[in-house]
Amino acid sequence: MRVLSEATGLGVSVQGLTHIYAEHGNPLVVLDQLDLALRPAEHLAVTGRSGAGKSTLLAVLGGLERPQSGSVLVGDVDLARLDGDELAAYRRDLVGFVFQHYGLLGNLTALENIELAMTFTGLRTGPRRRRARELLDAVGLAERADHRPNALSGGEAQRVAIARALANQPRLVLADEPTGNLDDENTAHVLDLLASLPAQLGCTLVVVTHNHVVAARAARRCLLEHGRLVAVP
Amino acid sequence: MATRSIGRRLGRAVLTVLAVTLAAALLSALLIVAGTARTRVLSQLSKGGPLAGIQVVAAAPDPGQVDTDNPRPGQPRVLDEAARQRIRALTGVRSVVALISTPVRVLPPDPPLRGAPSGTPPDPFTQQMTGVDTAKSGQLPITVVSGRLPAPHSLVEVAVTESYLRHLQLPKQQASRVVGTEVELGAPRLFTGDDRVRGRWTRAIIVGVVAQGVASGDVIAPIEQVRTAQAWTAAGDPTGDTASPYSGLFVIAKGISRVGEVRAAITQVGYSTSAPENLVATVQRYLHVVEIVLSGIGLIALVIAALGITNALLAAVRERRNEIGVLKAIGARDRDVRRIFLIEATLLGLWGGALGTAAGFGISELMGAIVNHYLRQQGLAAVHVGAPVAVLVGGVAGSAVLALVAGTVPAQRAARLPARQAMGET
Ligand SMILES: Nc1ncnc2c1ncn2[C@@H]1O[C@H](COP(=O)(O)OP(=O)(O)OP(=O)(O)O)[C@@H](O)[C@H]1O
Ligand SMILES: [Mg+2]
Repeated sequence: MRVLSEATGLGVSVQGLTHIYAEHGNPLVVLDQLDLALRPAEHLAVTGRSGAGKSTLLAVLGGLERPQSGSVLVGDVDLARLDGDELAAYRRDLVGFVFQHYGLLGNLTALENIELAMTFTGLRTGPRRRRARELLDAVGLAERADHRPNALSGGEAQRVAIARALANQPRLVLADEPTGNLDDENTAHVLDLLASLPAQLGCTLVVVTHNHVVAARAARRCLLEHGRLVAVP
Repeated sequence: MATRSIGRRLGRAVLTVLAVTLAAALLSALLIVAGTARTRVLSQLSKGGPLAGIQVVAAAPDPGQVDTDNPRPGQPRVLDEAARQRIRALTGVRSVVALISTPVRVLPPDPPLRGAPSGTPPDPFTQQMTGVDTAKSGQLPITVVSGRLPAPHSLVEVAVTESYLRHLQLPKQQASRVVGTEVELGAPRLFTGDDRVRGRWTRAIIVGVVAQGVASGDVIAPIEQVRTAQAWTAAGDPTGDTASPYSGLFVIAKGISRVGEVRAAITQVGYSTSAPENLVATVQRYLHVVEIVLSGIGLIALVIAALGITNALLAAVRERRNEIGVLKAIGARDRDVRRIFLIEATLLGLWGGALGTAAGFGISELMGAIVNHYLRQQGLAAVHVGAPVAVLVGGVAGSAVLALVAGTVPAQRAARLPARQAMGET
């Protein structure tokens, strides 16, 4: 994937992160004094039972959710200090998201979905389109450029989503159950793609998964339990 | 592209656009029709002539009556070219057209109508013949119902009015049947020697039928024709009452609002005037009320359409929470999301406004055609249904702006959605 620049990943330092949902009166402590340290370009897999707070952790790391207490540093960015627009810029420039349900926009073609991520950076149409084609090519879907998401298989859709996540050269890639909807063959394909990121692009990668095969590919594995991360050998 | 990302559901978009279309159509049709009604009614009031028209007669003003629309004229007073020039020079006067009026004996042809069988020849009757410079018909309260006006300076062409038709017992709808027939006109002169009236007879071709409010004329002819007739008659008048070169003037003020001022000035000069001034003002007030009511109805329709846009976009926001979250996850700021929905709303409004204004224009054209058909059947002049550019442009721009306003609430709601929505409902 030569198309991506040699950006180095960002280290992550989370200390005492607590996240409490207070819906309907009774507070639900999802993350409880959680600590996490990631080196640049490290590949971490997070497992845990449903409702353990894995998505919440990713949301905080990716700037989708503000840290309620504790500190979250990504590189030298203190997420707690960012205002709304700065958080949007953080998501746009430093983070790449991959979702279980792909998160492609149904009205746009595969190519346009990838381009969309670049419209918010103000990149002009020409370079934007060129780069989107290169990315599609890199995930092996050059022929599917003009297909809409509902004309793509799950595996193809997820590869388009990965291409989109990489569009703005992220330093931190966060994948929430990226293979949750895929069969074994597509899982392997998507997994190869994701697992190559830290080595090839230097992205720091956090993958949340229930799948042992997916977890096994990570250099480091953690279990999220009772609001904290526990290392898995 | 960002706008298309959250793009419309076709069915719902069509319905929404349709609502705006209907409302804009209603509003613009109402405005166009109201505007046409206004000009039509007002021009009918001033008998087809310019609204700011004032009739001046060759008589002194009746001192007690200057403030009414149609005062009784006072003593006859010579109205000559010098007086015409003086009135022309008054401030607030746009144009002055001189009129000569004289009685004539009218002898219709036999048969009186084109294509009718010959019968007992009709009897002559007396009518008032009014001479004007027909080249200046635009400055006169004359509406051509059928045919055309006599050519300027023509000595053989005349136009007749409804009173001529009445003498022939002809309904207004058949006005066109007298056009092209030949009529004999006799200027009477009283010969004092034997106390007998003799006529100086001429033949004229009726080239048109008009509705008019110039003095009390029944036959309209170029001024030269009337002048010779008048001279013949005046030569036999011992009192000299008909000695005035002009029997009247038709004065147009520079705007309805200046009619009063000009009338007062002409009274100062010493002539009696009349104008439908007070009537026009009253009718204008009523028409204004009608317009307000009609645009009120149209506006209510537009507001309902705007609520439709709000509702459709709110539904879109509800349905697309996940996609809006995704937009934020890949870097859209709140204001980017807001803009997407505002553009969406404006587009719906623009489409609806453009279609609706076009439809409204079409509807009013259609109504105009129906009304004109009716007017022609009644022997009245057709109206021109014109859509003012302001209505067309305003219809489109107004709908777009209204839609933009209607989109603010959904746009704000979308912008405020938590980015976490990208991960699906929790
Ligand atoms: N916005 C919210 N308001 C209230 N409670 C929430 C909210 N988001 C998540 N939760 C609750 O927080 C807990 C953790 O949610 P989270 O989505 O992080 O779990 P998860 O580990 O990703 O689960 P899964 O494996 O099922 O995706 C759940 O019990 C969930 O119901
Ligand atoms: Mg989850």
